[in-house]
Amino acid sequence: MFGFANWLGSTALSQAIQSALWLTPLLQGIHIVMIGIVFVSVLMIVLRIHGRVRADEPFVQTWKRFAPWLWSALCVMAVTGIILSIGEPVRQASALSFWLKMSLIVIAVLSVLGLRRAVARVAGPTIPASTRFAATVVLLVWIAIIFLGRAIAYDVEVWGALSLHQA
Amino acid sequence: MNTNVPAFIQAINDSAVGEWMRHSLKAMPIVEAAHVLAIATVFGTILIVDLRLLGFAGMQRNYRVLSREMLPKTWIAFVAAVITGLLMFAPNAITYYGNTAFRLKMLGLVLAGLNMAAFHLLTERSSGWNGDAKAPTAGRVAAVMSILLWLAIIFLGRWIGFTKGYDFSVPENVEFEF
Repeated sequence: MFGFANWLGSTALSQAIQSALWLTPLLQGIHIVMIGIVFVSVLMIVLRIHGRVRADEPFVQTWKRFAPWLWSALCVMAVTGIILSIGEPVRQASALSFWLKMSLIVIAVLSVLGLRRAVARVAGPTIPASTRFAATVVLLVWIAIIFLGRAIAYDVEVWGALSLHQA
Repeated sequence: MNTNVPAFIQAINDSAVGEWMRHSLKAMPIVEAAHVLAIATVFGTILIVDLRLLGFAGMQRNYRVLSREMLPKTWIAFVAAVITGLLMFAPNAITYYGNTAFRLKMLGLVLAGLNMAAFHLLTERSSGWNGDAKAPTAGRVAAVMSILLWLAIIFLGRWIGFTKGYDFSVPENVEFEF
């Protein structure tokens, strides 16, 4: 893995990303704007399951309003995230936070789809407590992803000896 | 003691909170992540309201119902952003005070506040709009201003972390951690 990261870091593309000083803050800015869209879309879906917003409309309406924004913004995040990672492959590969974040993203996407299926199976207007609890857990997973994203820059401070950074 | 900064900036810099943030290894990443979460919620909830004003999304719901639902969440997140922002500001208050990106961000926040106040106090009350369909012109202009200002605030915020006190002319011997 480090061999690959070292090679990637030495490519012309990676060097170009590193040498454009303005590119990294610009991409990170776009990444943060997209966090706003992704996180609030998930928040609205979760709060609707709890009946705390848009209780006057069926769940599917809330889903149709926010799911396209969630997936579109997530795609933009993947693009900005990949370019940022190509610019600093060794830092990414040696951050425990990065690997935890990537794993949680897979879980988070699947669990949002799972929530959608669970609510679709509900007969009647009341969403059961178990589904509402699951929705809260899903929201916490997305929050954890945001914290892990910021922790990549502080991997040793956050994880100590667990960080893959060679001392 | 730096004589070029106002006394209150110096006081924030020398405060116990500032001192604690300077020396705690784990506080900064946690506070920064909480700040990202807070600003993301502020931006996302404001975007929902602004897109409704513009007539781009959420048109099946009345504007007044929608904004009453969203704005409390915006305010809670904004207070969280201010608290975490102050925690990030305190340990390097003097440096941030002189940073151009920081100053522009504060200006952006003031303008966003004035734009919001003008909309709520003038446009919303005087236009006679019942909240159905899209907003009158003044409301749509306020929505565009709001989106642009908050985007600028987010980008300037990220810029602060990169420029620190140097505004991109980083001396050779200074190492940066982003």
